[in-house]
Amino acid sequence: MLEAFEILTTSGVVLWSKSYAPVGPHIVNSLINDVFIEEKVRPQNPATSGTSPIYRKEKYTLKWKRVKDFNLIFVAVYQSLLHLGWIDKLLDNISTIFIDLYKNEMRSARARTIEYPFDKYFDQQVRELEDNTGAATETLVDDVEDKKDPFVSSDNGGPPPPPVPGLLPAQLQAAPGVATSDEGTPPRSTENSRPSTPNHILAAKMGPGGRLSRRARKSANANTNVSSGEESARKGKAAKAGKKMRTWNADGLADEDTGEILDYSATPDDVGVGVPSPAVEDVTQESMGRRTGKGQFVLKDLGEEVHSILENADSEKAKSTSSGFMGSGFNAIGGLLRNIVGGKVLTEADLEKPLKTMEDHLLKKNVAREAAVRLCEGVQRELVGKKTGNFQSVDAALRIAMESSLSKILTPTSSLDLLREIEAVTSPTNKQQTPRPYVISIVGVNGVGKSTNLGKICYFLLQNKYRVLIAACDTFRSGAVEQLRVHANNLKELSSRENVGEVELYEKGYGKDAANVAKDAVEYGAANKFDVVLIDTAGRRHNDQRLMSSLEKFAKFANPNKIFMVGEALVGTDSVMQARNFNHAFGTGRNLDGFIISKCDTVGDMVGTLVSMVHATGIPIVFLGVGQHYGDLRGLSVPWAVNLLMR
Amino acid sequence: MGSQADWNSFGGVVTSLLDGNAVAIAITALIAFGLPVLLHLVFYRSAASPPSSNFLLLGPSGAGKTSLLSLLEAKSSLSKKPKSTHTSQSSTLTVVSLPPSVPTASNRFRSVNDPSLKDVSRNPVKYRLRDTPGHGKLRWEQGVSQLLSMSKAKDVKSKLRGVIFMVDTAALSEDEVLRDTAIYLHDVLLTLQKRALNKGKASLKTAMEIPVLVAANKQDLFTALPPNSVRERLVAEIDRIRWSRSKGLMDASADAAVGDEDDILGTEDTPFNFKLLKDEIGLKVDIIGGAVRDDNSDDFGSGVRKWEEWIGMCL
Repeated sequence: MLEAFEILTTSGVVLWSKSYAPVGPHIVNSLINDVFIEEKVRPQNPATSGTSPIYRKEKYTLKWKRVKDFNLIFVAVYQSLLHLGWIDKLLDNISTIFIDLYKNEMRSARARTIEYPFDKYFDQQVRELEDNTGAATETLVDDVEDKKDPFVSSDNGGPPPPPVPGLLPAQLQAAPGVATSDEGTPPRSTENSRPSTPNHILAAKMGPGGRLSRRARKSANANTNVSSGEESARKGKAAKAGKKMRTWNADGLADEDTGEILDYSATPDDVGVGVPSPAVEDVTQESMGRRTGKGQFVLKDLGEEVHSILENADSEKAKSTSSGFMGSGFNAIGGLLRNIVGGKVLTEADLEKPLKTMEDHLLKKNVAREAAVRLCEGVQRELVGKKTGNFQSVDAALRIAMESSLSKILTPTSSLDLLREIEAVTSPTNKQQTPRPYVISIVGVNGVGKSTNLGKICYFLLQNKYRVLIAACDTFRSGAVEQLRVHANNLKELSSRENVGEVELYEKGYGKDAANVAKDAVEYGAANKFDVVLIDTAGRRHNDQRLMSSLEKFAKFANPNKIFMVGEALVGTDSVMQARNFNHAFGTGRNLDGFIISKCDTVGDMVGTLVSMVHATGIPIVFLGVGQHYGDLRGLSVPWAVNLLMR
Repeated sequence: MGSQADWNSFGGVVTSLLDGNAVAIAITALIAFGLPVLLHLVFYRSAASPPSSNFLLLGPSGAGKTSLLSLLEAKSSLSKKPKSTHTSQSSTLTVVSLPPSVPTASNRFRSVNDPSLKDVSRNPVKYRLRDTPGHGKLRWEQGVSQLLSMSKAKDVKSKLRGVIFMVDTAALSEDEVLRDTAIYLHDVLLTLQKRALNKGKASLKTAMEIPVLVAANKQDLFTALPPNSVRERLVAEIDRIRWSRSKGLMDASADAAVGDEDDILGTEDTPFNFKLLKDEIGLKVDIIGGAVRDDNSDDFGSGVRKWEEWIGMCL
């Protein structure tokens, strides 16, 4: 069962919501944080799969739909245990109806304060969709669902795009209506395309059963209440809806060329004859009696209204696609003009070429292909359907969007203040915590500059008058310890000259287990009142399972406060896999805490590795190595990086 | 006179319009007098002088910025209850009206019986409030940059009258939240300080200090810290941030930049506090407690009364 449904704006205000069970606001908040802002969870491309994206949190599954014109997000929350296949349909229909009903309100300034009396429409939709699928048993629901999904997607995926998913419920809804009048029709075209199982017919028959009884009840009530003028007015609308449905069919017939669609329109044709006539009967009955039942009847009325809305939207969509073929000449000229003047509504076709150029540009900047594609897709998703500003070309709009999405991806969720954190660990304000050294360990592929960057960090910490212990845990490569000793001696010399912090090297020679050495080093550091322990590790290939697996033990034994991975700016596409593999190497519950990108001075403005690494893991970049000296360590400045990338 | 003019043919219509019959005169008069009125209505109704005082809502995510905005909006539009809210992704600008009972600074010296005060109750003072997302990733792009552009704006319409910095006092006892909040506040204050210092060099005409209200939200909760304790903690934390910022690494872009003397909030030697900030730089920071959600009282929004008074004093 559906737990909650919310309609919210991107500015965070819930316009309308309905909950069947209490769902904490943190569920939707985490959806927004993880999916929309941090993009940790990447939705599969909705265009290809035909379904809304899914996000799981605790015991709930969330599906959502964004409407960019109005900056709305429709979110449905339901229990993960249940398989509710009609949620996609519900999201589609509800978004269409809501926008159609409140279009004007949404544009006004008061959009956020007025009440939206949307409950009845929503209830109607839920009941209808549940009726469609839920009339039979649970297993049957699954069955139908599984068959329906490919059906819908095949519907969408066909080369000529006239068909419209929203049509489906209308027909399914309409179909049972006929079943009451004509028993022979049930195995009709909609079912024809599916493998015809008796179950479906059963389901189809059960729906009308409920409807019939409802109608009977309604007509029984018909003489109790006085009908209002509004009621009859709505009736008129309902009748009109019926008419519209037929005209649309004529249109649709003209447009369609696949056999399946033709099948389709044949059904509504039948329906067109079948359904309105009882509806008209109803109207006349009640207008004769001047009385009508409120409850169920209003519901039925709503159904008509809702369907007319959905069909209008569908037919408009169909019209727009068809006119795309016909009046393309005029549109092209207008499009060219708009490209200069602005105010053009962007489509995928408009964006295709500039996006390709943008992607190439990013690739040239050494962004890994995967990251570049994802960035471009994100920008495309953001821009399609948007209007360009006055005198703004498509390229300019694209550029702005790309800049903002680059800076979004590079900006960390919470900024790292290393000194502040060291302070908190080494001299805690809380009395219960015992002071312990702050442990930083550095990992990375061979030859990226782990030891050099360790030396730089050490120098930076020494400048701040910390006592630093360097632990040489590269017990494998010959000369590694000696290399660190050189660094340590240099730094010792420097710090004694400048009279700042103290540094010492902790080493146990070669051949020992690195994890044990690290553990001992931390203990030694704690005993001798060191503030920071810097652990150097052996370089390892990220796709060597044997070497990588030892990292898990290392993380457990040394238990570092921070694990930084050093990646070089020179690396290309491989950076994505490096970052990903190292991020997963420390076992469950432990990830990298940051990247140090070394050799930034060697690449000029091709700093794409920054983006690739962050894209792969969502872990921020903490330092950049920009030179050969101890002082050549920098923090990341997002505007600087974005500027270089867009140049 | 062609009183029985034939209105069917085109020529007939033209003829009867030109030969001065009553209908033609009436139509002409209608157009002549109606058109200016119509144009006026079309152009001036839509652009009905937006209020010229802007306030900016800043603060970390989950502090209650959007809740406050929707509460104030609901109050000024007389709807039943404010909408619930979620994490924001984009900023919004809305017009909010100040309740007539709240005194404004411009009416400070008026007597109680001043007839113009009655005018206020009929036509409440309006101001614009901009809500920003507080999430770490969006903060810079939409919060601080907004602050920069609004505080630098020359024209009166987008001039910033004050900054409201929301703080979740119930969560402030946790170190993580405190640090995050303090960093954000530090950055905001630093931006304002730079502006204030630059203003001294530039023309004095535009120099107008932008006061900051630290709105200690969620005072209704049991675990909430009182405003004074909030002040203490924030001051201590900002002091620490100041220290580590001064010691920290340079940004990658800072290579070419000249040595930034005014990168430190307040004066370098003395420990940070809000009073010094006011005395030396002219940056006024007030900390006032309140609660957006107040379940006890019947009329909603009574918990934000003090903040509204602060806003009133800035107008």
